[in-house]
Amino acid sequence: MRTSPLKDRFAGKGTVLRERYGVEVVARVADKQTECRAVRDTVGLTDFSFTRKYRIPAEQGLDFLDGLLAGNVPKVRFGRVLHTFLADDDGLLVGDCYVANNDEEFILLCESIVPDAEIDRVMQAHGAAAAGMEDLTTSHGLLSLDGFKAWEIAKEIFGADVLGLPYLSIEVYPFQNQSVRLFRAGKTSEFGYLLLVPQAVAPAVFDTLAPAVEKCGGRRCGVDAHDDLRLEGRFFNIHAEGLRVRDPLVLGLQWMIDFDKDNFRGCEAIKRRRAQGIRKKIVGVAAERGCDQLVTGAQIFHDGRAVAEVVADAFSFVLEQPLGLAVFPAELAYSGLSFRLAAADGPSVRTISMPPIMPKSLMVKLDEM
Amino acid sequence: MLLKHGVTAPEPISQSIARRALVITTFKEELIRRLNLPFTPEDLHEDISLLGSGLGLDSLDALEIILCIESCFKIKIPDENIAVLRSINTVVDFVIEQQERKGVAA
Repeated sequence: MRTSPLKDRFAGKGTVLRERYGVEVVARVADKQTECRAVRDTVGLTDFSFTRKYRIPAEQGLDFLDGLLAGNVPKVRFGRVLHTFLADDDGLLVGDCYVANNDEEFILLCESIVPDAEIDRVMQAHGAAAAGMEDLTTSHGLLSLDGFKAWEIAKEIFGADVLGLPYLSIEVYPFQNQSVRLFRAGKTSEFGYLLLVPQAVAPAVFDTLAPAVEKCGGRRCGVDAHDDLRLEGRFFNIHAEGLRVRDPLVLGLQWMIDFDKDNFRGCEAIKRRRAQGIRKKIVGVAAERGCDQLVTGAQIFHDGRAVAEVVADAFSFVLEQPLGLAVFPAELAYSGLSFRLAAADGPSVRTISMPPIMPKSLMVKLDEM
Repeated sequence: MLLKHGVTAPEPISQSIARRALVITTFKEELIRRLNLPFTPEDLHEDISLLGSGLGLDSLDALEIILCIESCFKIKIPDENIAVLRSINTVVDFVIEQQERKGVAA
């Protein structure tokens, strides 16, 4: 099982580790409510080293990545990051990807739902060796800094020009004679930064960040909190609804696809399903406070019949109610409708417009500070 | 109302769907036209984020979205209510709410 170079830094009383597709992840450091509130109110520091990480020289990397991923890689400007996905030959999701155009190199970060060996096989079959791809997965750690005040920590450590980075961009900063690649990204709907750090300085970067995070009122977090935060902010989560549904069209991920391309992996299958029309769609749902039946796998009933299935669930500590995502037939996939949960006479569940919360970060304009 | 897959919707639901579907289609078509988006209306999920992630639109595009809403529905979005631009669905919620208010007022 692959472990994180930062595992020791997240270990401690209360820390829960879990295996996910053959990779050990920090699931929780404290209770989920404490961690979710830290991100919404201050800042959370999370180990994302489970992510697959690659460096590809720009010259060869462009065609390699464009033929692999659904998005349009040549359109990614220098210093910017593309959010797209990796599919299999059937057009079903394998990885949720960030691709950064960083001058002479492309950096690919991939949250995958298959074991490392399967991703390695895909990369090699696609010509990774000829493209000069370097696997940074075990040589680098990845730290995620997320929260309403995440920018304060990033500014303190890397300087005020961090505030000028737009969402989905990359910049390189020196740290103890090594390069830290900083992504302005994140999937919580609060400010987010991903720090790709060489293993040699990963503990030192953590030791610099952690006290600053605590001083700010934040804390270390696990990935379980991120699952809930992603749903609450309606960011796609490949580890939840992505794993259960896998069809990017049902998941509403068309925005990640360049439909003018005809060479990416899974392209033919995806375009065929698109031409046939979408018969199912994912929709946000909310149950009454205190309802404990809004769980992944639960059926949703309408007019005495099961019509939908819950494919992801979370508890919103902002709204103090259970939320979920469910796959409905397209004809019923509208916000504002009432259904029954778990049985024809079960508790009420309502389709809702996502995201249901207003993140504090949306009201902060960093470029005006 | 008999829907595909043999699902029967009682009248209140079918009315809600029809009303919402009309606003969604109108908004999506105008959004695609104004911003020259490389998608069909069916490609745009209603929960897609309009700004930042998702469609990745910037502040200039946000202005275009506001003009789009004003043009399609004759509804103005106050400066302090920029939060309605979180997704297509939140825009549609706002439009329907405003239409209902106008209806009540009339």
